[in-house]
Amino acid sequence: MTEQASDICVIGGGPAGLEAAIAARELGAHVMIIDDNPVLGGQLIKQTHKFFGSKAHYCGVRGVDIAKILTDRVNELKIDVVNNATVVGYYDDHLLGVLKQDTFFPIKAKRYIFATGASENMLAFENSDLPGVYGAGAVQTMMNVYGVVPGKKALVIGSGNIGLIVPYQLLQAGVEVVAIVEILDKVGGYYVHAAKIKRAGVPIYLKHTIIEAKGRDSVETAVITEVGSKYECLLGTEKTIECDIILIAIGLSPLCELLYQAGCRIDYIPELGGHVPFHNEDMMTSQQHIFVCGDLACIEEASTAMLEGKIAGAKAYETLYGENEKSNEIASQAEKELSIIRSSPYEERILFGRKKLTP
Amino acid sequence: MKFYFEDQELEGYEGIPIAAALHAAGIKVLSISERYKRPRGFFCAVGKCSSCLMEVDGTPNVMVCMEPLKKGMKVRRQKGRGHL
Repeated sequence: MTEQASDICVIGGGPAGLEAAIAARELGAHVMIIDDNPVLGGQLIKQTHKFFGSKAHYCGVRGVDIAKILTDRVNELKIDVVNNATVVGYYDDHLLGVLKQDTFFPIKAKRYIFATGASENMLAFENSDLPGVYGAGAVQTMMNVYGVVPGKKALVIGSGNIGLIVPYQLLQAGVEVVAIVEILDKVGGYYVHAAKIKRAGVPIYLKHTIIEAKGRDSVETAVITEVGSKYECLLGTEKTIECDIILIAIGLSPLCELLYQAGCRIDYIPELGGHVPFHNEDMMTSQQHIFVCGDLACIEEASTAMLEGKIAGAKAYETLYGENEKSNEIASQAEKELSIIRSSPYEERILFGRKKLTP
Repeated sequence: MKFYFEDQELEGYEGIPIAAALHAAGIKVLSISERYKRPRGFFCAVGKCSSCLMEVDGTPNVMVCMEPLKKGMKVRRQKGRGHL
């Protein structure tokens, strides 16, 4: 089978991958994007909420509209896009095995930028395999992309930003949100999101966790309990809550399987999301021709993912063709903006984790 | 547009994932687990977790959270690993 070739191949067409591809293409490289969805944008396409931050980070623009801006730019720059295609293997001679519907073909590039993102974490509790126990992002996809309201009464586990934004969108879709359950003694996400949820009258149970889902063929009720100082369940505090969907919003794990295959060093850094590929400030992994960006490198948010993408795109280009004024400008501007975002108190944990990325 | 779930005729929008169309029709149980015969639904809805595998037009292990719905498709609950 004929092998497709390019200078730089970007795996994943979400916010990080698109910015990486755009940066490298703007500098003049031949770029290709491989993505497993029918449309580009990754998880941005389900984010109907507005972003905040500064103008440069699309403040006030909805995620879904950012996806459109980036996709338009990709088309304008005539970047090759292979969609509906999954990279299923990284082989010797730095070859990617790609599966598109029923055809399997190789792709080879001089540099690879992996922007595969992350998948939602599951939580173990009794009957957690019952239909109706869904990832919070899964519900967001069904609801915001396909217009399917997934249930009538929702219970949310976890109060990070996803655990706060998705229930608000459920309320907008007419779904009752019975409660948000958080095991820590404080809300994990931004205060503005929590305040919106509280104003809507949704109770947030701090120092609580779910221990059981009940139902015949799908969720009918859930049992939650209070936890003690060592996160042990406190007997006698169980509460049964009526609900038909349980949203798990307890975090994400980077999708780094392909990088294991490529021989990249993987470190365990809980603050960054668990097993993450080691990378330096240029977003280069332990393999000099492989770069990473976005949630794969560190579970953060779309704004930082896009900035990391720009850095990865510019740096991958530089390793091929050398530095120039424009590549320096793209990378240093993105680095500057990244450090501003990461100076927020919400980012302390990320900074602490990033310090563990040592060669 | 019509499609079939376990021989039952259902209506759905062409091109949306099969799982979305089934969910809209109130069907949450997509498969039955191999060992303990427990009902299974989707989990991630973005083609990562393999919790939504079903039999589509005779082919088992189709990720229905990603696979677009087509006219006249025959979708069945997969039992265990499915059969070719």
